[in-house]
Amino acid sequence: MKLYIKLAWRNIMRNKRRTIIAGLALGIGLASLIYTDALWIGLEDNMIASATSSFLGEGQINREGFRRTFEAELTINDLDSVMARLSREPEVEHFTERVLGLGMISSPANISSISMVGIDPATEPPLSQIDEALTEGKYLSGDNPRDLLIGRKLAELLEVELGDRVVLTVAEAHTGELSQEMFRVSGIFFFNVAEMDQSMAFVQLNQARKMLGIEGQAHQIAIDFTHRDIGRDRKNPFWARYSTDGNEAAGWVVLLPQLEGVFEMSQFSTLLLGIVLFAVVALVIINSLFMSLYERMFEFGVLRALGTRPLSMGRLIVLEAGALAVISIVLGALLCLAALLITDHYGIDYGGIEFAGVTFRDLLYPVVEPSQFIVYPVAVFLFTLLIALYPAAYAARLKPAEAMRRSF
Amino acid sequence: MIRIWTTTGLVVLLCVVAVRAQLKKSGDPLVDSLVNEVDRLYRSSSSYAEMEMEIVTPHWQRTLKMDAWSEGMDKTFIRINEPLKEKGVTTLRIDNEMWNYLPKTDKVMKIPPSMMMGSWMGSDFTNDDLVKESSFFDDYSYELIPSDSGDENLYYINCIPRPDLAVVWGNIVIGVEKDTRLPVWQRYYDEKKELMRVMTYSDVRTFDGRTLPATMAMVPTTKEGHKTVIRYTVAKFDIKLDKDIFSLRNLQSGQ
Amino acid sequence: MLTFRIAARNVFRQKRRTLLTVLTMMGGFTLASISIAFSDGSYANIISTFTRTQMGHIQIHGKGYLDRPTLYNTIDDYETVGAAIDSVAGVIAWSPRVYSAGLGSVGEKTTAVRIVGIDPEREETATRFDKKIISGKSFMPGATHRTILGKGLAIVLKAGPGDTLVVVSQGADGSIANDAYEIIGTAETGDEVGDQNTMYLSLTDAQDLLVLYGRAHEMVVIVDNLDDVLDLADQIQALPALQKYDVSPWQKFAASFYTAMQADRQGTWIMLGIIVLIVSVGVLNTVLMTVLERRREYGVLRAIGVRPGQVVRLVLYEVAAMDVVAVLFGAVVSLGVNYWLSRTGIDMAQAFTYGGMEFKTMYSEVNLQSFTIPAITVTAAALLVSVIPALKAARTAPAKAMRTH
Repeated sequence: MKLYIKLAWRNIMRNKRRTIIAGLALGIGLASLIYTDALWIGLEDNMIASATSSFLGEGQINREGFRRTFEAELTINDLDSVMARLSREPEVEHFTERVLGLGMISSPANISSISMVGIDPATEPPLSQIDEALTEGKYLSGDNPRDLLIGRKLAELLEVELGDRVVLTVAEAHTGELSQEMFRVSGIFFFNVAEMDQSMAFVQLNQARKMLGIEGQAHQIAIDFTHRDIGRDRKNPFWARYSTDGNEAAGWVVLLPQLEGVFEMSQFSTLLLGIVLFAVVALVIINSLFMSLYERMFEFGVLRALGTRPLSMGRLIVLEAGALAVISIVLGALLCLAALLITDHYGIDYGGIEFAGVTFRDLLYPVVEPSQFIVYPVAVFLFTLLIALYPAAYAARLKPAEAMRRSF
Repeated sequence: MIRIWTTTGLVVLLCVVAVRAQLKKSGDPLVDSLVNEVDRLYRSSSSYAEMEMEIVTPHWQRTLKMDAWSEGMDKTFIRINEPLKEKGVTTLRIDNEMWNYLPKTDKVMKIPPSMMMGSWMGSDFTNDDLVKESSFFDDYSYELIPSDSGDENLYYINCIPRPDLAVVWGNIVIGVEKDTRLPVWQRYYDEKKELMRVMTYSDVRTFDGRTLPATMAMVPTTKEGHKTVIRYTVAKFDIKLDKDIFSLRNLQSGQ
Repeated sequence: MLTFRIAARNVFRQKRRTLLTVLTMMGGFTLASISIAFSDGSYANIISTFTRTQMGHIQIHGKGYLDRPTLYNTIDDYETVGAAIDSVAGVIAWSPRVYSAGLGSVGEKTTAVRIVGIDPEREETATRFDKKIISGKSFMPGATHRTILGKGLAIVLKAGPGDTLVVVSQGADGSIANDAYEIIGTAETGDEVGDQNTMYLSLTDAQDLLVLYGRAHEMVVIVDNLDDVLDLADQIQALPALQKYDVSPWQKFAASFYTAMQADRQGTWIMLGIIVLIVSVGVLNTVLMTVLERRREYGVLRAIGVRPGQVVRLVLYEVAAMDVVAVLFGAVVSLGVNYWLSRTGIDMAQAFTYGGMEFKTMYSEVNLQSFTIPAITVTAAALLVSVIPALKAARTAPAKAMRTH
C-alpha cells in the first residue's frame, strides 16, 4: 500500500501544471463553500444581534394576544409575581418592563402615527440600544416626566428640535377616552432602522401608564439571557414556564418568524452551492484523471502486461485522486483563510438595507467554526475518491496490448 | 356663639387675604392695581363677548367666530360658531380643569395641565391665554422696571411666574400706557431671556361702559409668517348668567 | 473551409473526452441560465406585484415629500397634472391619494389609524381596489361619510360593515379634524402591515376632513410595460405641468428594495465567476491534453507549410464547435427548466416580505439574457483559455515534434 501511495504522489507531480490547475479549481470550489458557510453564519449572527439588541430583546413576555392587536387593555397578568420570579432565574441576565400604546404625535407642523413606549430608564439600557443611538440630547433619567425621545426621521417630519414641544395622544384602556399630554423632546436618536426612527417615541414608564390609565401594569417584559441559544430554542422549558396565566413567553425565533425563514434559506443556499460545487468537482476530477490516463496509456499497458492486477490499477488511480484532493484541500484552505481574514478586517457593509424584516446596522463579518474546516474538506476528499472510481474502473479494465498500441 | 365663630372666621379670612396680598405686593399700590386691571381687562364678575379670531400661518389662514362667557376668574366657556366646519366646538374651563368638545363626533377631550401651554385650536394663543387659568396678580411677582427704549409714556412692568407655575415663560413684560392705564403690549420671554412672542393691543373702544382695546394681536418671534388676531365685536359685563353655562352638560349640548 | 472540416472531424476523434468537455461547458451554461432566469423571474414577479397592486410604477409628489411626508406638501392641481400625464404614450392610468394619520374609534375601541383618501373609480382602474374588498362593498359614487377598513384594523377595532368609526386628526388649517363614518366594507390589499391600521375614505371625504380641498399628496401612475418605467418617468418629469413636482419611478420610491436587489444581484456575478473558472479548467485540461497528444501531427502540418495562424484557428475551431454544441443543448435543457419553473415556481420555506406583502412562491421566467449572458460567458471563457495551448501548437518546431513518439 505504501508503495502505491508513493507512486500516486509521484504520478500527479509529474505534470505539475495540470495538477496545480486542477488543484486550484477544486481548491477554489472548496474555499467558496467554506467562505459562503462562514458568511451565512455571520449573517445570521448579525441579523439576530440587530434584531434583538436594538430593542426586541432575546425574548419577551406579553399577555396572550397582545402582539397581534396591541390593545392597551392586554396587560401582563400578575406582573409583580412574574417580575419577582424572573429576578430569581439564573438564566435571565437582564429584564425590563415596558408599556406600549398606539397613538398620535403632533407638532404645529405635522401629525404622525406613533408607538408610545414607556420605559424604565434604570433597567432598560442593557436591553436596548436607545441610549447608544442618541445623537442629541440625553437619555431619560427619571427626573422629568415630560421628557421624550424620538427618532431623527420623526423629528424632521414634525419639524422639531431638542427642547421643542410635541403632543402625544393615545386612547385610555377600557374607556377609549382620548388622553393627551404635552412632552418636550429631550433626546433624538438614530437607529438607521426605519420603524424605530420614524414611529417610536420613548417616555417615562409611569407617564405612559398614566396616559393609558393602567397604573402599575405593563404590556411587555423584554429579557436577555445568559446563553444566546435560549432565544432560538422553541422547546426550552423557560418558555413553557412563563406562558401561564394568560401570558405568553416567546423567544426571538417566534417573535421574528421571518428570521427563521432566512436561516432555512441559508441552509438551502449552502446546500445548493454544495451540490453545484460537487458537480464541478466531479467534472474536474474526471477531466483531470482521464487526461492523465490518456497520457500514460502506454505506461499502463506496460504495467498490465507486467502482471499488475486490475484492482491495483484501480487503486492507483483512486489514490492519485486522493492526492489531488489533498493538494486541493490545502490550497483551498489557504485561499479561504486569506479571504476570511480580509473580510474580517474590513467587514461587509449592508447598513440600512432591510431584509426579512430586519435592518442591517453593524458590519457583516464571516464567522469561522472549526467544523467548517473539517467537515467540508473531508466531504470533498471522500467525494473525490468516489468519483475517481469511474476512471479507476476504466484503468482497471485496460487490455495491455490495446493500451500500448493506443499510445503515441 | 355663632357670632363669635363668624367674626373669627372673618378675621381669619381678612388675615389670609392680607397675607396673600403681602406676598404679591410689589410694595407699590400703583403697580398692584395696574396688574390687577390687566388681569381683569376683559373679565368681571361675569361677562359675555362675541369675537373673531384670525389665524395666519405660512400654510393656511382661517377666521373663527365665537361666543365666550366668563364668571370671575375661575370659569370660562367658549363656543365656536363659524366656520361651519367647526361650528359647535366648545371649550370649558372650571378652576384648573379644562375640556374641549367636538360635536361632529361627540367627543369630550380633557386637556391636562401639561397642555396649557399648547396652542388653542391651532392659533398662536395658548390654552392658558384663552381660558385665563393663570393670572398675573395671583401667580406672578411683579415690579416696575425702567423702559428700555426711553418711552416715557409707558409703564414697564416685569412679571416673573412663581416657581411651580406650569408655564414656559421666564418673565413677561407688560407695557401699560400711563394716561389710559391700558396695556399696549406684552412681551413674553423664555427662561433664557429670549423674546418668544409679542402681544399687541390696539383699537381702543368702549364696550358696555368699559374702555378697552378691541384688538389683540399675537405674533411669535420664533416662527416666520405666523400671526393670530382676536377682535372683540361685542362685550357685556356683569350680566346675569345662567348657572348651567359652565357645565359639562352645556359643553356637549351643541346648541 | 478545410480548417472547419478538419476541426469538426477532430472533435469526434476522442469521443469520451469531447463528451466530458461538452458536458462541462453545458453544465456551466445551464447552471448560469437557470439561476439568472430564476433571479430575474422572482424579482420581476415581486416588483410587478407591489407596483401593480399598491404602489404603482411611478409616483408623483410635491418636492421633497418622499423624504419628508408632511400634510401640507401637496399637489394642488392634480387634474391638470393628470391630463398631462395621460398624454404620454405608455401610461395606462393614474390615481390621486391623500394621506394622514389620526386616532380612530369604534365604540370604546380606539387605535392609531392611517387615513388614505382614494378616488374610487381611478383606484379601481389603477390598482384594482374593488378586487381587494373582502366583506361589504366598495365606495359608491356620490356617497359620503363612508369608510372601508383594512382587514387587520377591523379586527383590532372589532368592527365590521354597519358600525360607525369616529376619527380625530389635525386639519391642514390647524383645526381639529374630526368626523364620523359608516363602515361599508373591509379590504385585504396584500399589505398585511398596512391593513392593520389603514382606513380608506373617498378622496372628497378625506379632503373635507383634512381641509385639503382640491389637493392630493400623491399620484400613482400605472404604465403598460415595466421595462419602460425609467424612460417614462423621465418623460413625465419633463412635462411643463410637472415642473414643481417630483416624479419617482419605483426604483426611487422603493429604494430600499431596489438597493437590496442590486446587492443580491452582485451574487450573480460571483456565480458567473465560479462558472468561468470551472469551464476554463475543464476546457484547458482537454485542449492542452489534445494539443500535447497531437504534437506530431502539428509538426507534420507545419512541415508541409501550414501557417501558425491556421494552426491556431484549427485548435480554436474545435473548441468553438464543442462550445456551440454545449450551448445549444444547454439552451434546450435550461429553456425547458426555466419554462417549467416559470409556471410552477418554487415554494419558499419562509415567505419573502416586502412592503408588507408576502411572497411565498418564486417564479422563474424565460428571457433573453438568461441565454445570452451564459452563452457569452462560457464561450469567452472556453476560447480565451484555449488560446494558450493553441499558440503552443502553432509554435511547434516541425522536426522536433515529428521525432516525438
